[in-house]
Amino acid sequence: MSLSLLLEKYDVSTDEGLQKALNEIEKEETEVDEALSGVLSRASLLEGRLRTASQAYTKLTEVKTDAQVAADMVDRTANLARDVSAKVRQLDLARSRVAECQRRVHDLIDLQLCSAGVEAAIKAHDYEIGAAHVSRFLGMDPGSVAAARARGAPDPRDAMTRAANTLREHLIRKFEEASRKEDEPSVDRLFRLFPQIGRAEEGVELLAKYLTTQTEAAIRRACIITDVGSEACVFADAITRVVEAAGAAIERARNAHLVSQAYGLLTTTIRILQPSVCAGVRRVYNELVAARRLESDPQRTAMSPLSVEPVLTELALIHSRIWLYFMFLRRKTEVDANQVNETEKKLCMEKVEKIIADCDLMRTAQDILGHYLTLERYFLEESVNKALKMATPQVGVTTSSLVDDVFFIARKVIRRAVSSGSVDGACAVLNDVCGALEQHAARALRRWLRAPPLEPLALAPPRDPGAPPDAAGDFARSLNRDLDAQRLLYLAHMNEAEAGAEWAERLATEACAAAGGLARGQAERDKLVSCAGGLASAAAAFRAAHDLALGALAQAVQPRLGAWAHRLADPHPHTEEMEDDADALPQALEQFTETARAQISARSVDTLLLAALTEIATRAEAAILHNKYDREGGLGVERRARRLAGWAGGSVPAARERCARLTQAAALLALELPAHARDALLPTPRLAAPHAKDILARRTDFKMEEIKRLKL
Amino acid sequence: MEDYKFLFKVVLVGNAGVGKTCLVRRFTQGLFPPGQGATIGVDFMIKTVEVDGEKVKLQIWDTAGQERFRSITQSYYRSAHALILVYDISCQPTFDCLPDWLREIEEYANNKVLRILVGNKTDREDREIPRHIGEDFAQRHGMYFLETSAKEAENVERLFMEIAVELMEQAKCKELPKYDGSLGPINGKTTSVGDSSCCLRS
Repeated sequence: MSLSLLLEKYDVSTDEGLQKALNEIEKEETEVDEALSGVLSRASLLEGRLRTASQAYTKLTEVKTDAQVAADMVDRTANLARDVSAKVRQLDLARSRVAECQRRVHDLIDLQLCSAGVEAAIKAHDYEIGAAHVSRFLGMDPGSVAAARARGAPDPRDAMTRAANTLREHLIRKFEEASRKEDEPSVDRLFRLFPQIGRAEEGVELLAKYLTTQTEAAIRRACIITDVGSEACVFADAITRVVEAAGAAIERARNAHLVSQAYGLLTTTIRILQPSVCAGVRRVYNELVAARRLESDPQRTAMSPLSVEPVLTELALIHSRIWLYFMFLRRKTEVDANQVNETEKKLCMEKVEKIIADCDLMRTAQDILGHYLTLERYFLEESVNKALKMATPQVGVTTSSLVDDVFFIARKVIRRAVSSGSVDGACAVLNDVCGALEQHAARALRRWLRAPPLEPLALAPPRDPGAPPDAAGDFARSLNRDLDAQRLLYLAHMNEAEAGAEWAERLATEACAAAGGLARGQAERDKLVSCAGGLASAAAAFRAAHDLALGALAQAVQPRLGAWAHRLADPHPHTEEMEDDADALPQALEQFTETARAQISARSVDTLLLAALTEIATRAEAAILHNKYDREGGLGVERRARRLAGWAGGSVPAARERCARLTQAAALLALELPAHARDALLPTPRLAAPHAKDILARRTDFKMEEIKRLKL
Repeated sequence: MEDYKFLFKVVLVGNAGVGKTCLVRRFTQGLFPPGQGATIGVDFMIKTVEVDGEKVKLQIWDTAGQERFRSITQSYYRSAHALILVYDISCQPTFDCLPDWLREIEEYANNKVLRILVGNKTDREDREIPRHIGEDFAQRHGMYFLETSAKEAENVERLFMEIAVELMEQAKCKELPKYDGSLGPINGKTTSVGDSSCCLRS
């Protein structure tokens, strides 16, 4: 602390202040002394360190010198290595040049040897050696030959090419000789040499020609049909034999190609072989057309559907066999082309598609399909017509198998079309089936259902409780068995129409599933789906016929429903027979329902009952507004309406709402006082207030003013 | 579910090589394929067009003209809403065959089907059938008439659009009955499709 600070801090004018300042100064002095002695004690340590440092410095200088030496060494080594690798490179180049020179020398020596060797081999009939020489020549580096020419030597290729050509001619001649003699081992042996002399395609062609000659003989044998008149599929068998012979030839060629590694050339074989196959099939086809009288119109020759069936099966079978053959060609070509690159493979596939599309066999297949479709349409129409004839309403007949028969035929026809393997065929048959179902079967049902017999489904009439049972009427009805039969048949047809709609839809699904496998590509699938979709319109036609019948049934019970509605709204109660009176309508309806359920489908019964109950309720409500009631009468109506609603609640849930409205109307009629009307409309008012008041007004004992005052 | 209000089947028939496929492809794909091969059996294409703001799906069935496919093509007549009978204006035989085609249509198609006679290839210089001959023929047989060029895209769009308009009008007049397959009554109608100088109605 400086003196001035001390002087500021302590009052030096006083002794006490001076003493304090002095004390402070003394304390500071002691601290300084201590610090000084501390510094002095560290001086020796620092000296020691300085000494060590100076020693280290000397050592570092030595290390630096050593490092410099090492760096120089590394530099020198690097330069050396660079020099060495340059040398190695030069050596490498020299070595490869030597190797090339050696190869060329070898090539040149071989070239001489080859041309001489080929000549010698031809002379010795050792074509394998000859071909090996040519193969060696073909495998030579073109540079060798060029180099030889550049040195002014006579072009060695000329001699070689000459020799190769001679060999080729020899091979061709020998091959032809062998094929004439049908010397299979020689054929195979010679065929294998062609790819070696770079003439794979020529070899493939020769082999194909040889196989074609052989296959032609097989086809000629296959075409012989002994029993032309036979119903068995003799023509299909013959055509199968023809395409099988062709298939065998192609398989044989493919195996030969595999052995000699001549890939991607199967289309050449197919192209050469195909005309013979086409001719063979065409020959059988011509015989088939004549024997089965396919050119003549089936209608004019009046063939029976039964006699047409074997022919149809045969035609479908023939078509499917030809289709299978085409598939075989595609598959084999694809397998064969798998060994070559993508572009060539695509080219091969295009080639085989073109061969298939352009060949006469395709046209024959189309002709066969044409005949098949014409005949199938005839079969379909005739069979459906026959089924219609059998199902035509006749006296005493109460059942019909129209729909069963027609759909059995439709299914059979579709299955047969699918078995032909042709999507177009399946589509055309589907179209025809749609036509037959819609225009023949559904139309006939519609025609029959348009003319219902008297009361197809009878609802008992309301009977006067006092009146005796209608014994005479019952007796007359029991005698009229014809009418009963007519009714039963009518209901049977109605059920058939309903079943027909379901069947048509099921048939569409089935057909799509069955024919889906034939489709090649989305376009064909779409076509099938669209044609099968035509069955939906057939289904609609059946449904319309069914609706027509349902309408007729509802129409037929209308008068009785009217009578029951009037009975329900009857203001004069039959007090003695109260219970019977209230239950009469539910009983009649129950009986009607039972009869109906036994005859027609549950869904139809429900529809019918809903219509009937709606009709009764509407008419009864209207009738109420025309009658006048006392309390007693109102109670009768209420009781009957309640019973009806109770029955409907159990049997026809759909009509519950409608009946509830009627019950409310009846409840209004049965009130003790108009003031209770509000309670009668609980829990949900189903009648509008003015309408409710109109009903209340039908009570003779209610006052008009009172009703008008009511707040509903 | 596709979004369309009406679906109509349109079937093209006529001799081989009159340009049925080219008409269909011009309309559906907007291109003219040179060197088009013969159609095998039946091809079908779909195009959805808009008429009065409503989507109409045209299902166009392009049939093979060659005789041996007749039994396939015949099966498509019944469900057709419109039949386009095509001939080549530069090839008399294709016109001479029209009565045969009409007989076939009578036999297999619905008698109320919309029928349109189309003379194709108007781009060709060597016309053999004058326009009025075609028109007369169409008028005599109660058909619409139009001359087109698939190559030059002339009247192609119009042909199909007018069919769509007419079929939709029919469908609206009387909803196409679902069960008997018959079209709405067209005999009673006297309005022609589009430009009356071009489309005649007998």
